[in-house]
Amino acid sequence: MKASDILSYSFSAIKLRKLRAGLTTLGVVIGIAAIVALLSISQGLQNTITEQLQKGFATDTLIVSSGGGFGLGAMGTSNSGFKLLVNDTQTINEIANVVTSVAIIQRVGYVKSGERDFIRYVVGVDFANYTSIYSSTFIAESGDIPLNPENEMIVVGKRVSDPWDNGTLFCNVNDNVEILWTNATARPPKNETYTRHVVAVLKEVGGLGVGGPSDSSVYIPISQAQTFFGTDECDMIIVKLENDDEATIKNVSEAIKEAFSGQVSVTSATAVLNILSSVFSTIELFLAGIAAISLLVAGIGIMNIMIVSLMERTREIGILKALGMKSRTVLLVFLSESVIIGLIGAAIGIASGWGLANVVAIVFRGGGVFMGGNQAAGTNRMTITPVLTPMVFLGALAFGVGVSVVFALYPAWRASKLKPVEALRYE
Amino acid sequence: MSVTISVVETINLRKTYLLGKVPVDALRGVNLRVEKGDFLAILGPSGSGKSTLLNMIGALDKPTDGKVFIESVDASTLNDNQLADLRRRIGFVFQFFNLIPRLTARGNVELPMAIPGLGKNERRKRAEELLETVGLKERMNHKPAELSGGERQRVAIARALANNPRFLLMDEPTGNIDSKTASEIIELVKGLNKEKGVTTIIITHDQHIASQAKRTVQMLDGLIVHEKVN
Repeated sequence: MKASDILSYSFSAIKLRKLRAGLTTLGVVIGIAAIVALLSISQGLQNTITEQLQKGFATDTLIVSSGGGFGLGAMGTSNSGFKLLVNDTQTINEIANVVTSVAIIQRVGYVKSGERDFIRYVVGVDFANYTSIYSSTFIAESGDIPLNPENEMIVVGKRVSDPWDNGTLFCNVNDNVEILWTNATARPPKNETYTRHVVAVLKEVGGLGVGGPSDSSVYIPISQAQTFFGTDECDMIIVKLENDDEATIKNVSEAIKEAFSGQVSVTSATAVLNILSSVFSTIELFLAGIAAISLLVAGIGIMNIMIVSLMERTREIGILKALGMKSRTVLLVFLSESVIIGLIGAAIGIASGWGLANVVAIVFRGGGVFMGGNQAAGTNRMTITPVLTPMVFLGALAFGVGVSVVFALYPAWRASKLKPVEALRYE
Repeated sequence: MSVTISVVETINLRKTYLLGKVPVDALRGVNLRVEKGDFLAILGPSGSGKSTLLNMIGALDKPTDGKVFIESVDASTLNDNQLADLRRRIGFVFQFFNLIPRLTARGNVELPMAIPGLGKNERRKRAEELLETVGLKERMNHKPAELSGGERQRVAIARALANNPRFLLMDEPTGNIDSKTASEIIELVKGLNKEKGVTTIIITHDQHIASQAKRTVQMLDGLIVHEKVN
């Protein structure tokens, strides 16, 4: 029997029991939709985070922090009491393949203009070095970034100037703003207030700004930060390399660790992205696993329906065999019914899953997913664009059909093994 | 002297079933020969073994002992696939029509031709011709539920003829229709036998139907007890 005739015959059997076939297909639809929605959202989320990271974290830079690693080190000191100092950049600059380095001191403070104030990161950097490292992001939209700033000069990120992203400015070039910082280590804790003059507003950066410029930070000269925060200790040192070769990253990282007797941790953009990718792979596997369980339930539903159908159609199988249909063809007739259910279910499932993922993305966008990053006020809204890769598309299709076929194997095999004489006698 | 060709021949055919744990001898050594162009009626009361004999002749079941030759091929030695191939050369007509309810009359007639892989246009044309032969061309797009008992049996006969069978094997073909329609069906079968030379074996418990055949064999308790030419 030709494949097209088998499919057409199977399809006529499905059409006869529309409601039952529809409900059976629904099981596959739900399973596949769940898998596609979860995977395309998580893939979209991964892309967004990776993109944001890449924006603020050049691949030819390293982040040096004291102690236990990226993030932890950036936030404080190591257990051993080692402190990374602003002038440690001199040691780093002497290492081969290092172009330059810049120390960063950052604290959380209030920035006040008129009656309004916002919590912002106040970041002390060497403007000249920072500009040379982040030449594409640390650039002024209005005003000029001074390479040798005077003490009272500050540069603000786009979201500091325009926090609501609607043109209503909190501050602009030539405005004076007050920076308030509480020195909690002093006894009693001491509130410090300085009035500073905005000389430049940065272009919008986007991204998470790991070490790099951020839209929600206020930049002050490093010497001022040392005086203002009363410390020579820096939170991290950003190192610019001659290139982003794997070997250069590895050699410089090791040289820096050696120069500080292993008391510092060195993080590269590549390493962070790799960790991120690995974390997402695990999350995706976990989510797909959960969704796959619903598909297994659908598979059992298919098996159940096929067994019922087998019993109802025993006489029909007897007729087909009396007409000369071979057992293998009977098997194919039943299996192709499950292939049709699987294909239709998977196709609708993929479309619904994709639709669901987009609805979720829109809801998230509307509700606003806020990413903390190093933005204290967290006004940098992140959008997720669901991604349906060809791999997920084909995988879902194959999985939907595969589950249907696997669970139909037993009933189909039983149908094919029926003896024509007994099947014809069945009532 | 002309040599007659045997279409079906059984030699000492036996079939024993287990009814629970009790063996029942349905056939106890049946010897039968059906020649090309023959019209044979197998007559017998319920339980005489005629349906079991039909299953053996139709390659639907295997004998416990003895031989069944269908066109000189010993069906008792064939495997399932070979039996399926053999059944494509036999035209079955059942008491309860056994049509596929979701297919139209034409779809039902096309089905046995689709099994060996005949092209769509070719089988459609042949199905229409066959339905015309049985007088149902106007009703070919109707499903079995929309046809009368007699019409359904005509569709079943057209289906049985689809693959140019070596013989028609009919199991109580008039058992489920009224006597007037039954006469029409028998006339149709007689016509096919007479005009087209279709070898026919008809199983019945109806004396009147049996008398229409060229030859009758009487079965009782798994044996042929009487044989006569009408």
